Amino acid sequence: MTQGGSTGVRLAFLGVVVVALFSALFARIWYLQVLATDEYQVQAATNRVRLISIPPIRGRILDRNGVVLADNEFVGVVTVDPTQVGAERDRVLDELELLTGESRDLMAARLDDPAADPFAPRTVAAGLDENTLELIAERALPGVKASFEPRRVYPQKAFAAHVVGYVGAMPEGFLEAHRGQGYTLNDRVGRAGIEDLFEEELRGRPGVRKVEVDRQNRVLRILGEEPPQNGYDVVLTIDIELQQAVEAYLALGLRDARQKISPDSDLFFPAYAGAAVVEDVRNGQILAMASYPTFDPNWLVDGLSSDLYDLTFNDPFSPGRLNNRAIQGLYPAGSTFKLVTAIAGSRAGVISPRGRYEDVGYFDVPGDCGTGCRFNNAGKAIMGPMDLSTAISRSSDAYFYSTGYKIWALPGENQWAIQDTARQFGFGSDTGIQLPFEKSGRVPDDEVKRVLFESRPDVYLTEDNVVTWVPGDNINLAIGQGFLTMTPLQLTNAYATWANGGTRFAPNIVDRVQTREDAEPEIVTDFGPRITDVLDFSDIPRDVINEGLAGVTRVRRTAYGVARGTASGAFELWDNAAYPISGKTGTAQAEGINKALARPKEDTALFVGYGPTNDPRYAVTVIMEEAGFGGDAAAPVVRNIFDALRRLEQNWAEPEDLPLETPQPVTATCPEIPRTLLHGGAEVFVPEGCPYGTPLPVIGTPSDGEPAPSPAGSGG
Amino acid sequence: MLHTSAPRRTLHSPLRYVDWTLPLVAVAVSVLGVFMNYSATWRLLEFNGGDVLFFARRQAIFVVIGVGVMVLTALLDYRVLGEFHRQIYLGLLISLAAVLVFGREVQGARAWFQLPGFQLQPAELGKFALIVALAAYASRSEGEMDLPALFNSLMLAAVPMVLIFLENDIGTMLIYAAIVMGMLLVAGARVSHIVVLTIIGALVVLLVFNSSRLVGRDLLGERQQERLTAFLDQSSNQGQANYNLNQSQIALGSGGLTGQGWLKGTQTNLNLVPEQETDFIFTAVGEELGFLFGSLPLLLAYLFLMSRMLAAARLAGELFGTLVVVGVLSMFLFQTFENLGMTMGIMPITGIPLPFMSHGGSSIITAFAAVGLVVNVRSRRFARD
Repeated sequence: MTQGGSTGVRLAFLGVVVVALFSALFARIWYLQVLATDEYQVQAATNRVRLISIPPIRGRILDRNGVVLADNEFVGVVTVDPTQVGAERDRVLDELELLTGESRDLMAARLDDPAADPFAPRTVAAGLDENTLELIAERALPGVKASFEPRRVYPQKAFAAHVVGYVGAMPEGFLEAHRGQGYTLNDRVGRAGIEDLFEEELRGRPGVRKVEVDRQNRVLRILGEEPPQNGYDVVLTIDIELQQAVEAYLALGLRDARQKISPDSDLFFPAYAGAAVVEDVRNGQILAMASYPTFDPNWLVDGLSSDLYDLTFNDPFSPGRLNNRAIQGLYPAGSTFKLVTAIAGSRAGVISPRGRYEDVGYFDVPGDCGTGCRFNNAGKAIMGPMDLSTAISRSSDAYFYSTGYKIWALPGENQWAIQDTARQFGFGSDTGIQLPFEKSGRVPDDEVKRVLFESRPDVYLTEDNVVTWVPGDNINLAIGQGFLTMTPLQLTNAYATWANGGTRFAPNIVDRVQTREDAEPEIVTDFGPRITDVLDFSDIPRDVINEGLAGVTRVRRTAYGVARGTASGAFELWDNAAYPISGKTGTAQAEGINKALARPKEDTALFVGYGPTNDPRYAVTVIMEEAGFGGDAAAPVVRNIFDALRRLEQNWAEPEDLPLETPQPVTATCPEIPRTLLHGGAEVFVPEGCPYGTPLPVIGTPSDGEPAPSPAGSGG
Repeated sequence: MLHTSAPRRTLHSPLRYVDWTLPLVAVAVSVLGVFMNYSATWRLLEFNGGDVLFFARRQAIFVVIGVGVMVLTALLDYRVLGEFHRQIYLGLLISLAAVLVFGREVQGARAWFQLPGFQLQPAELGKFALIVALAAYASRSEGEMDLPALFNSLMLAAVPMVLIFLENDIGTMLIYAAIVMGMLLVAGARVSHIVVLTIIGALVVLLVFNSSRLVGRDLLGERQQERLTAFLDQSSNQGQANYNLNQSQIALGSGGLTGQGWLKGTQTNLNLVPEQETDFIFTAVGEELGFLFGSLPLLLAYLFLMSRMLAAARLAGELFGTLVVVGVLSMFLFQTFENLGMTMGIMPITGIPLPFMSHGGSSIITAFAAVGLVVNVRSRRFARD
């Protein structure tokens, strides 16, 4: 059935409407695409629409109290577009020289910089005032633009330079790796430190402005705009006042060391470099981190002048100025590693904490092993009888040589007790701090040694070395020498872990990332305390080790006579009653030659301390390259830093309470050893009633497993 | 050839009277649409480091879903819809009112429900509800509408239209108006009434544009007003709307007779035409494929679709079916004319998508469902209850 009559007529009318409307469309498209196409093709070819990126304002870097470490300032700059200046180049440069006072040659060099984006305007002069900018704008020189542009500025100059980092020209490959994020070739990007790692947060997101331009690329009108999103502020955990004090004390300590004569070479110590770290042991926050020699990041923002370039890169007496030695310097731990050995030895059952050990100035590897079996104390000092606590305070090498050997001789996996303990404390792996290019150091074992020897046989296989893990390797490792390397931050964090009772944090140097508002910033990322591991110290003689570490900074009477701590000289005038400090010195032999001075390297001085001893709050490490004894060179610097800490911590709020195990106060729970027993010469002696009084088996004694408790014991 | 088990069809089987050309042309146009979606977006996606196929793949999925929906709408007897037209109309009103309260605001229009994974625009589906309800009511007049019937029909349409106006979705409201006009014309409204209605409509438009002077309050936003009037004064050099219009015409014009080649249009690649994968998709066709291979065949395809719909309306078994098809036809006619006219600079700029071509799930699925409905009506012209 078909619709007829009236409906049919009406449908026909609708059909007419359809045809009419489509005729209009056909007519119009015929006009556009056939009749007028030439005109439109010209318009398409000269379409003068440009997309202009609006750069976001880079976020600031602040210290824990809001002091600005990195900011932006607006400076007057003159840019010249090389594609537009053309034949008038000479005239433009002449006029600009008159107007800005900048040297013509320098401006020409900047204009011809082959590294810059060939189509982007180049900055030829900067730091101009408003008046000059207006004068330049009035001249209307071809391709010349005068404007205010943001420039990164570091108001604290060299302080905290290694932490804050700097922005600079884009490295090769950066643009390709960040496609689609709106970077242009001339952008300054974070190259080191926080500026580098937090580039994305600090930078923000650029906006886009769509504009119509005339033939001279002058903007006629704005067609649309998407505003930029400015970068976030990064708030650090460091306190800039403490940071300044730490850097100053480190530099002064190195200067003092340079005025001392090395007993090894009878020459002045070079003492050209060092690092210092201050960590809050309660939450893993880094309060200060210094590296010497240092630099001013403001130098690097616009690229280095040749003088500054030489100073930064070619100064033979300040090698690696840009390196953050606190996280990138790899040092042997030296005697500071004895804490690890003490714990490993106690766990493995080769140390009897109150047991008497006779230090004769050296340790002989038992059995026939040809030459190189005798390991001497530093300076061949003979220290006499001691227990674990005294061995730590006085830093007896022989005691720990013996421990290292005994551990090596253990059967099975216990042989690797030192390495296992070291890894538990975070040696050999990144700490996870929010800084780029952190080094992880090395905890050596047979596998590491094999790989090392196979990769560099020319270096390592010169003597009669063997690739297997021999007693000498473990003995060297026991006092932090040999193949062991670590960063100052790892050492600080290890002692912080010990001081807070076993909680190992991933150290935080960034507290939070927040929006840039002065009143009520919105927190974007909050770095709370990050616990990487919890160590169990219940099975080791913590009191004895703590007593030993506390004894490092003082002179005390023990069952074995007066124990003069290795840093007692540096802490002689320190108020150890009110603010007791524990710690450990280290004097690490450095391999190789000092190239600038053409003589063997001097020892590296280390000191790591924590305090107050009874309820530790801060761990402080100072490492000074080629500066001699840890107790003489590094310990005074740590003492000075604690002095600053005592003053500054008055201003700080108590950190949030974390449910950590609180360390026990250092009071010997073992009874005083009767004087009559002192000359017994027992190698192993454990008094009755002592919590560590379980008799321990000792390798190589006939009464293995059941040592005689007799005071007069077997000979020794 | 052996026809051992040829299906036995009765004379009344709907399958015998299916108009296959209508869905085939619709699918062909939408396949072109997928290619043009790719052409309009790949450059920007690549620049932003995204997946260059993102929009094209999405559109292809929409087309597949759309074809499925078309099959479903073609199978279900359309006369069932007529029986439930009251419930359908009520559902339309409730969902339109609900979206005003619970809806999500997109570019100033509060017209979407946010559902997990996609957005639902009740006004899209509502087009069918309005068509069915209006067809059911108007078919009672049997081709001769008196004034009360006309008034009631207008009221029937006015309520959802006011709700959509309140949602700030002017484009969809205009489509509703076009549907109502087309249906009332065919349903038997007198010519004098239609003339009067047109005059009233013109007055309303004038009132809306000058509302700030007459009522003291702007009924349209500034941007809306600028977009709607930009085509009247194309020499003006001001504003975003005129920019859109210029770039769109440059794109079409520079395509010329044979086009610049697929993926080679400079206007398209430089992303100079805004919203090119949605409202301005035709500019990509015009620029890259030209008059002979792009604009002309596409216009002819749309004209063909309209003519098949007119035929279906004429052939429908009853006035209700005719009016349903006329509603769909009016919808397509208005959308196509408005969208193409806008890109060519002879109609105001509104956010109305081009059926089967513009990127978007709602638009594609509605278009295919409408084709399914037309096929449905035509195939059942001899069907018995």
